[in-house]
Amino acid sequence: MKHLLTLAAVLAAGALTAPNQTSAQAVSCPVKIGGILPMTGSMAPITKKIAEAAQLALDHINQGGGIKGCPVELVLRDDQGQPTVGVDAAKYLVEVERVPAITGTISSGVTGPIISSITGPSKIVQISCCSTASAFTLDGRSGGYFFRTLPTSKTQAFATASEIARRGLKKTAIIYVNTDFGVDMTRFIKEALPKLGGEFVVEVPYTDNQPSYRAEVTKALAAKPESLMLVGFPKDAVTIVREWLSLGGSPKIALNNSMRVMDFVNGVGPKFLNESFGMDNAQVAGATVDAFNKAFAEKYKYDSNGPGVHTQYDALMVLGLAMNIAKDLTGPSIKDAVRQVHAAGGAQVGTGPDEFKKAVALIKEGKPIKYFGATGPIEFDANGDVTGPALVWKIADGQIVTDRVISIEEMQALFKKVE
Amino acid sequence: MIGLASYLVFFFSIVLILGIVALGLNLQWGYTGLFNAGIVGFYAIGAYTHAIVTSPAKAGMIANLGLPWAFGIAGAMVTTAFAAWLVGLVTIRLRGDYLAISTYGIAVSIQLVTLNLESLTGGPNGFPGIPRPLFTTLGSPALFNIFFLGVLVVVTGLVYWGLERILRSPWGRVLKAIREDETAAVALGKSALRFRLEAFVIGSTLMGLAGALYASYIGFVSPYDFVPILTFQIWAMVIVGGSGNNLGVLLGTLLVWAIWAASGVAVTKLVPAAYAAQGGALQVILIGLVLVLALLFRPRGLLGEAATVSRHAADD
Repeated sequence: MKHLLTLAAVLAAGALTAPNQTSAQAVSCPVKIGGILPMTGSMAPITKKIAEAAQLALDHINQGGGIKGCPVELVLRDDQGQPTVGVDAAKYLVEVERVPAITGTISSGVTGPIISSITGPSKIVQISCCSTASAFTLDGRSGGYFFRTLPTSKTQAFATASEIARRGLKKTAIIYVNTDFGVDMTRFIKEALPKLGGEFVVEVPYTDNQPSYRAEVTKALAAKPESLMLVGFPKDAVTIVREWLSLGGSPKIALNNSMRVMDFVNGVGPKFLNESFGMDNAQVAGATVDAFNKAFAEKYKYDSNGPGVHTQYDALMVLGLAMNIAKDLTGPSIKDAVRQVHAAGGAQVGTGPDEFKKAVALIKEGKPIKYFGATGPIEFDANGDVTGPALVWKIADGQIVTDRVISIEEMQALFKKVE
Repeated sequence: MIGLASYLVFFFSIVLILGIVALGLNLQWGYTGLFNAGIVGFYAIGAYTHAIVTSPAKAGMIANLGLPWAFGIAGAMVTTAFAAWLVGLVTIRLRGDYLAISTYGIAVSIQLVTLNLESLTGGPNGFPGIPRPLFTTLGSPALFNIFFLGVLVVVTGLVYWGLERILRSPWGRVLKAIREDETAAVALGKSALRFRLEAFVIGSTLMGLAGALYASYIGFVSPYDFVPILTFQIWAMVIVGGSGNNLGVLLGTLLVWAIWAASGVAVTKLVPAAYAAQGGALQVILIGLVLVLALLFRPRGLLGEAATVSRHAADD
């Protein structure tokens, strides 16, 4: 009986102290991170390199000391490009594998339901390399747990609006293609333009692949605009610009990135485009970008060009850094830590295992860090989105030339001004 | 352990939602012989109707009504029934593969409408923030999931019971007669067209009901939820389970969806991390292999259709 009592006391003490011990140590090795990517299905051709970039980031994190001293595992699941499959995979990762963070996925149609039904309610950090739909971050339904490392169409829209204002274009008409890209671009241009000193007078959507856009152009001209912002794709844009000019529209035309091709310029005729300008995402340059490209080429024997490759590497590196910064590996702590990965006044850290090791050492000393990744500086705005640099192009002597580059710092200043 | 239980609650919820779709198809194909290849179209109509009826008004959306959950479910069923009736009026005379091609085309068109009718459906950006019943009252996602599983068990039970009732009635026997020999059924004075249309509308309405349940469970729908692969998954569920047997179809749904989910887990456990990028292909091969084996060894499905003989046959 006495033995039993002692045993009970020991067990009770154990039960009382056990949770304290685990919360003090906080981490059980290895640390798992969930990954969801469409490795089969229509996206499969581009996903291979993206998954390889994730693997490379994982190698760098592990070689650089892992997370809180633990080796890191990436549990990668295939969403097959199908929402139900992706949601099931996410639920499994969160509940059974107990991952505190997920990276993924590509298609906005899969990312959306995962945020809405799994990561948002369960407070799990999710970083996507590739989903652009604005709805995820704008209405705050992710609860701040969703981030993405690729610049959204907002970057180009704000840059365009600022250039329209800088060039003193007045009374702008917007003609845009009726797709998610065109709709998002137009919404952001409309938001930014009045705050930067421009004004828009009318917006007209168009459906692509029509033989003529006379009706749309006439409708836009009826508002007596003095300049045009055209958001669309080259083939239809040729028709629209020709009809616009022949009906007496202003030659001051702002164009989006898709029109930066000679097919468009020659289709309209270069001499009609002397007062036009366009916008595009600029290639990010810098030592940290080169280091990533070199490491990728060394491991896989081919170059890292392709959509999502650089942004996926950054998505995982940000998670690696944030999980080292976080006081424990729970969703809310990691979410707050993601915003300290690029802290003002922090010591600069870059890509690769040595830089990661340096970052971990700094974090251990309690010093702030400033991460520069495979896509340049990674600083999330209030919505969990990043910006990128942009370039302004124009037509000179029948050729497309770069007018000027808007650096990422100018871009971030611009975002602060508009929002 | 709690984690696994919580995952299983979620897993079975999806199984029941897909199970209702499969029951709808079983009524059309298993009992009446209608080759509906446009399942996903009716599923989409139900999901979007529910989203529009229950979501609160929002800038840029023209028709959000903000009504309670039950109105969304009822509205989804009525709208889907009406859409199926319209589709049925023009296509139900078609036989076999012709019906399949036309319904397939209609489903693709419906998906394109959801992609482009932005002010109604949110377009390619999707329809976020569909209200979930009692989500805030219940407080935690885990409680909500258990509650919703309960709702789904009740709804699936009602659908199953209702189908069994009507299929054992004279109405159900006519459906089988049409499936086996339409000419003979017509010769007995039955209007084959009317019965085919009724079976088509009821089956499609069940698909719409499932779509509404899916929308209110996940809280987000987009046109990418309604691509043709789902139609073929449902077909696999009905065929593996045993067309013409409602219980078999529910079992088939469970088995096929379990294969889909478990193969993904198996790939992450068995394939070395360095080859994770290639593992996805293995998963698809695994799914195909299990489906082929199931059909080789159980050609009539897990539970085939029960043989029907006259209850007077035993009297001899």
